[in-house]
Amino acid sequence: MDLPCGTRNFDYASDMAVLRTRTHWGLFFLLLVFIFTAPLYWSNYWLSIANLIGITVIAITGLNILIGYCGQLSIGHAGFMAAGAYTTAVLTGKLGIPFLASLLCAGLTAGIIGIVFGLPSVRVKGFYLAITTIAAQFIIIWVINHWTSVTGGFVGMKVAPASIASFSFNTEPRQFYLIMAIAALVVFFAKNLARSRVGRAFIAVRDNDLAAEVMGINLTYYKLLAFFIGCFLAGIAGALFAHWSRFLNAENFTLADSILYIGMVIIGGLGTTIGPILGAVLIRLLQQGIMYITPVLEGTFPTLPAGFTTGIGPMVFGLVIILFLILEPRGIAHRWTLFKAAYRLWPFSY
Amino acid sequence: MAELLQYTITGIAVGMVYALIALGFALIWKSSSIANLALGQLVLISSWFTYGMLVQAKFPYWLGFPLTILFALFLGWLIERLTLRPLIAQPILSLITVTLGIAYFLEGVVTFVWPMSVAALPRLFPQEPVHLGPAVVSQEYIWAAVVSLLLFGLLSLFFKYHKMGIAMRATADDQLAIQACGVPVTSVFSTSWMFACVVAAIGGVLISCIGGITYGLVETGLKSFSVVILGGLDSFIGCIIAGPIIGLCENLGGGYLTPLIGPGIKDIIPFIIIIVVMVFKPYGLFGEKRIERI
Repeated sequence: MDLPCGTRNFDYASDMAVLRTRTHWGLFFLLLVFIFTAPLYWSNYWLSIANLIGITVIAITGLNILIGYCGQLSIGHAGFMAAGAYTTAVLTGKLGIPFLASLLCAGLTAGIIGIVFGLPSVRVKGFYLAITTIAAQFIIIWVINHWTSVTGGFVGMKVAPASIASFSFNTEPRQFYLIMAIAALVVFFAKNLARSRVGRAFIAVRDNDLAAEVMGINLTYYKLLAFFIGCFLAGIAGALFAHWSRFLNAENFTLADSILYIGMVIIGGLGTTIGPILGAVLIRLLQQGIMYITPVLEGTFPTLPAGFTTGIGPMVFGLVIILFLILEPRGIAHRWTLFKAAYRLWPFSY
Repeated sequence: MAELLQYTITGIAVGMVYALIALGFALIWKSSSIANLALGQLVLISSWFTYGMLVQAKFPYWLGFPLTILFALFLGWLIERLTLRPLIAQPILSLITVTLGIAYFLEGVVTFVWPMSVAALPRLFPQEPVHLGPAVVSQEYIWAAVVSLLLFGLLSLFFKYHKMGIAMRATADDQLAIQACGVPVTSVFSTSWMFACVVAAIGGVLISCIGGITYGLVETGLKSFSVVILGGLDSFIGCIIAGPIIGLCENLGGGYLTPLIGPGIKDIIPFIIIIVVMVFKPYGLFGEKRIERI
């Protein structure tokens, strides 16, 4: 266990607690204070990046439950996000349903669609499932693009900002609080799900689904439950994205995004709670860095080819995914664990 | 009636090209059980490379096409050597996702080198359409089908008689046993990747003769997954039978359902077929059903 020397367990509750020592509590408190006072000294630009990161963390946490814990590869996560986003856009915009109810509906819709496309997972796995979820991605986006009367088709649709009672989340700082609160809840939920009966069943299914079935785990139930939870969170993330960007278009949810989400989970670390957070932060910051640095580079080196601006992003992300898989398949989360161990044992690391 | 015949002929021709690209997938899957999800991007990048050779560098055909083939061989070798060799014996999840990373990277390379999103290859085949009974079909379709069939025949002969082909089939059967017999399994892997890239390149050129070079080529590559799924992953004969079926469904469905459902239904039919096959017959028409032990 990664606990400091002298920390003893006297009962089950203290053994299972997430935060054990005074330092843990202190750091946790500092983190909360840091996050929730951020709007006081961050500019709107950085807040918008933080909002996007928060939304991504929610989506990636769902994907991590699906891939990292249950071992079911889904390459259609952006499609499930789109389902949630358009559900809340239609419910709040056209039917006037309050935000919280439509957020829940968005999650449920995405979750149910996830179950439908997850059905083949009962019989097949690995590559077959990957292909099915790619098909899901294309079918969902096609429906959105061609069901013009409801979704606005290729033109897209406007979405009103989120509002609870008469309080409207119409500025970046307000949305920041909303998104961060939900993201914190989701991370807390994921952390506890992984330690529960359900999470242990997921891990058993991931490691060997036949062995899990022999041990009495209902494969159909748990695989579809993983799809439901993963896609439910994707739907929530999509709904928050809709209210945050206030304009929806199928271009926001492409296959490339789905691949990028998988990349984030891998880079962060599969099957860990902190992994999705690290992966989302790293990739989104990398995106911002590339967006910042390409005009500068083009200014200094005018001989760069015309496709430099659009091409450099995918190249870098593809390379990062490949390099992480080859060099550090357990992701940044593993490095983080190593760092904590080294810190705890310093200076006597033997 | 003329309509029906026309849809049938174009459907079978396009389906043959799908089958060719799918063959490239089945090759890699059979020898190394790696699922190559970068198929669409391989098709895309080799079509653009052909464009670069023939139009931008203005090479004649006899130089441009061999260069494309060489490029595909080199690309296949490079991908296998740099990304898949270090990942041998890793979990299947890493093997699938690394090809996704390759796909992403290749897409970046394409937009980097060829920033224009649409281009057309020069006319490779004669222009005047062919009259087959009441149907009028442009020659590209016929040529595409003929070239695909020819390549298919050549490859089958290669697998049947050539030493490397036999080694590849043996590797697919049992990697450990073949290693014990002294066959270098790693070189079999790289050969299968090189072959797959060449097949994808030829398929890409044939398809872009029909529809031009667009980003849609990635989708063409993804559509050939439906061929693999319907035919069964580890079956060459499955590819050649399922290809025309998919092409027919796509063209007939596109032709007759568009007035009913709306434009674009053509592009989604192969994906719907994937879902249906997955639910009812997950190992395809000719696929081998794997029985697992714990």
